[in-house]
Amino acid sequence: MNIKILDSWLREFLETNASVKDIARELSLRAVSVDKVEKTANDYVYHVEVTTNRVDLMSHIGIAKEAAAALSEQGISTKFIPPKYNDVKNIGVSFPIEIINDPKLVNRIMAQVLEVKIGYSPEKIRRRLEESGIRSLNSVVDVTNYVMREVGHPSHVFDFDLLSTRKMDIRQSRPGETLTTLDGKKYRLTGGDIVAVDDNGEIIDLLGVMGTANSVVQENTKRIIFFLDNNNPKFIRRSSMSLGIRTEAAIINEKGIDPELMKDAFKRGIKLFEEIAEGKVISDSIDIYPNKSKKGHVTVSEDKISSVIGIDINSEKSADILRKLGFEVKIKNGKLDTKVPTLRPDVTTEEDIIEEVARIFGYHKLPSIIPSFLTNKTGTFADRFYFEKKSKNFFKYLGFTEIYNYSLVSEDLFDGPVDRAIKLKNPLSEDMMYLRNSLVPSLLTSVDENKGHDEIKIFEMSGVYEKRQGDLPKEILMLAGVVKRHDVSFFEVKGIIEALTLDLGIKKINFNKRSKSPGSDIYIDGKFLGYIEVLDGETINFELNFEEILNYANNKKTYKKLAKYPPIFEDITFVLDTSVLTEDVINEILNKSFLIKNVTLKDRFSNSRTFHITYQAEDRSLSSKDVFEIHKKIVDSIGEKFAAKVK
Amino acid sequence: MENELINLKNNALSLILEAEDEKELEEIKLKFLGRSGKLTQAIRKLPKIDIEKRKELGVLANEVKETIEASVDEKKKQLKKGILMSKIRKIDVTNPGIKPQIGHLHLVTQAISEITSIFEKIGFVRVRYPEVEWDWYAFEALNFPKDHPARDDWETFFIDGASHKKYGPMLLTPHTSSGQIREMSNAVKSSVSGEISPIKMLNIAKCYRRQSDVSHTPMFHQFEGLAIDKNLSIVNLKGVLDYFVKSYFGEKRVSRIRPYHFEFTEPSFEVDVSCGVCNGQGCSLCKDGWLELGGAGMVHPNVLKNTGIDPDKFNGFAFGWGVERALMMKDGLEIDDLRLIYSNKLEFLEQF
Repeated sequence: MNIKILDSWLREFLETNASVKDIARELSLRAVSVDKVEKTANDYVYHVEVTTNRVDLMSHIGIAKEAAAALSEQGISTKFIPPKYNDVKNIGVSFPIEIINDPKLVNRIMAQVLEVKIGYSPEKIRRRLEESGIRSLNSVVDVTNYVMREVGHPSHVFDFDLLSTRKMDIRQSRPGETLTTLDGKKYRLTGGDIVAVDDNGEIIDLLGVMGTANSVVQENTKRIIFFLDNNNPKFIRRSSMSLGIRTEAAIINEKGIDPELMKDAFKRGIKLFEEIAEGKVISDSIDIYPNKSKKGHVTVSEDKISSVIGIDINSEKSADILRKLGFEVKIKNGKLDTKVPTLRPDVTTEEDIIEEVARIFGYHKLPSIIPSFLTNKTGTFADRFYFEKKSKNFFKYLGFTEIYNYSLVSEDLFDGPVDRAIKLKNPLSEDMMYLRNSLVPSLLTSVDENKGHDEIKIFEMSGVYEKRQGDLPKEILMLAGVVKRHDVSFFEVKGIIEALTLDLGIKKINFNKRSKSPGSDIYIDGKFLGYIEVLDGETINFELNFEEILNYANNKKTYKKLAKYPPIFEDITFVLDTSVLTEDVINEILNKSFLIKNVTLKDRFSNSRTFHITYQAEDRSLSSKDVFEIHKKIVDSIGEKFAAKVK
Repeated sequence: MENELINLKNNALSLILEAEDEKELEEIKLKFLGRSGKLTQAIRKLPKIDIEKRKELGVLANEVKETIEASVDEKKKQLKKGILMSKIRKIDVTNPGIKPQIGHLHLVTQAISEITSIFEKIGFVRVRYPEVEWDWYAFEALNFPKDHPARDDWETFFIDGASHKKYGPMLLTPHTSSGQIREMSNAVKSSVSGEISPIKMLNIAKCYRRQSDVSHTPMFHQFEGLAIDKNLSIVNLKGVLDYFVKSYFGEKRVSRIRPYHFEFTEPSFEVDVSCGVCNGQGCSLCKDGWLELGGAGMVHPNVLKNTGIDPDKFNGFAFGWGVERALMMKDGLEIDDLRLIYSNKLEFLEQF
């Protein structure tokens, strides 16, 4: 919540030598954030951000109380001047409207009928309202806003003569009921709003949120009901959000304001009507108050206060601070026994009291000490984050740029039918409706968004989500990428994935032809790891299950003795049918002798493939006779098994 | 004969030594080793020599031949190197180098990496917890009242589907604080006779909120610190904040904490960092010299209780800040629209 506080208005309740700068600084450090101070023609305006638990600060008086505590703690002599409002006189004419209240909906109602003359407010009132962010309309409406800004409790006025009955039934709205708010907008209610209904069943107010057009004060209004209502905040929040009516009154009311404040607001209002709208009370006032606010009670020890804050603060000091904030405090045996002001229902625990003491004392006056304890967690060095980082760096140094796409996608970007998808109940838009199950569709969109680049190499590491019955979805970390270039090849991408897994300490992964689309499925230890998909002549994508990679990634190093005897190399070229898999040929060759240390595919043409073979023994230099014998075995076996000829 | 061969060798070697280019070397080679070369002619005389001496001289002749060949080759290499070096001496070193193509890690990844290193040095251990969460972990156990605005449809994304009997509706976690509950519940599960191991957690994850404008994206990242032990205090929280701010933003930047309100901490703070643009003097980018980093506080006793930790024995502090926000508060990274970070324009990503 934000509120604009005027310096001149604030000082009506503050006796201080503090400068504007002092006030802004001390409020920020010890009470409530002053985002900026704006200088106007005759005044300064503090832009204050009030946290939702401190709705008591949504007024000049509320801020003045805090400022007094904060400034005096800083050593700037300051006193809070409580407002002196006259009691409201009754004239012996009973209040003419019968109000039927529901205590579940409304905590307190005060009202009185006045005769008024509507005109412009005096310059000072108009200026103050405008500078604190409220449009000045006419003297009567201005009174309600002025009171809200000064005291902090919203209020309402009805045109008494527009009310067609003498009854006001306060109840929850029913589905289908309609109303027109005072700004002329029509609403169809879904039920559960707090409304006032007259004897004809017509809604004459949407309590706590906005008045209705049928009872609104107009230029020629002669008689008004000054009406203050303190409502159950849950109902206000629901109505205000669902109808989209975010008036200041609603924003304050939905936070739950102390009904004790109402009395001051009421007195202040009546006085102002008299002063600026020729107001004259023509009925007695009423005060329906079923839900009285109570003072809380909290006890906290001196030791606890010091231990949580981290330095010693004695009971007298704490009591002094709390009293400045309106708490009643008794010190007994090292304990503070506190009575909490009704304005502060947010204070209920020891910690709440400690916060009050600590903030006014000044967080900036506390030292900084890093806690030195360590946890007992082990094995956190080469954890998942280590391998994630390593893999991301791997792609970076291969020329890939990392992408972050939203996890929320449209139906188009979901891979497969959306009945399998995890769907949002309240999406922001159709584009962000489902949790994605693959990173690839979004990455391909990123490629499209970067037209005009000859070469695009991008990757993303992020979670995908798999629906599970009766449980949270499985969140699976995936690693996906796209390479787009006019001459990109499957083997380039395959090579990248092979190099990545090797770098992560994974010795072997397998590639099988993919049936769904051109490309390859990838397996690790017989389990599906991911795929490479050739989309067209210039675009290839891949996606790997990184959780599976993490199951195998390791930092293990194995030392093998360096060879003492030199290897012998040989290239053999076979004419092979294209259906024969290179991997099968290599495995077959490797099987032929333990003296074959390595076999690689060196070259390939349309129907021939050249294999580069390394022979090596650990205990002697191999002779050409040794090699020839193995060579013969290889040629025979490959010839027989794959119907191949040596070229 | 023996002398003749040795003379031939010396003669050839001195010529080779003085040769100035490859052509001259070829001529020298021809002069000695060619069909009518001097060495060739000398070798032709060998059959006339005494059989006893012939073998010895044959070996010598062969040695001379090899020496000349090797010297010619060596000299050729030297000449080539000389030419190359003289070319190199003339190059324009301001011509561009041949750079290998290197990609770019996303700004968010870079920030997460820095943040992790900073906290690891003071003993925080990184974890990751679910993004799709139960209400219990995201709100209820964090002491949010039932009717708190963050729990309604306007601020948090809910998943279409049935609620859990115990844990409530399924949602996208709006903050990494849900990880606090996970971490503490885990600590309680592995506790020994009511004694939990002390916690120093760093949870970095994607979070989701129902908003999109220049300073909000529906998905963003947070990093959450949680420390639980005996007798932790606001002074300790300040210690960690100051350490982080100096480490991440630089020694010149200072931090402060101000009163604030969160449901799951008490006391609660807002953490400010001095503005790097104006150095705390106040400018159009900051609030009177300060930039808001995010929230922090002492863990609320109800939160400890909800996870099964005895608040009379243990306490702690927590903080949760936006990764993107922290990034944009760094010197030189004053990005005017947060949504740009997730736009995936290569022109943007390749700047970093």
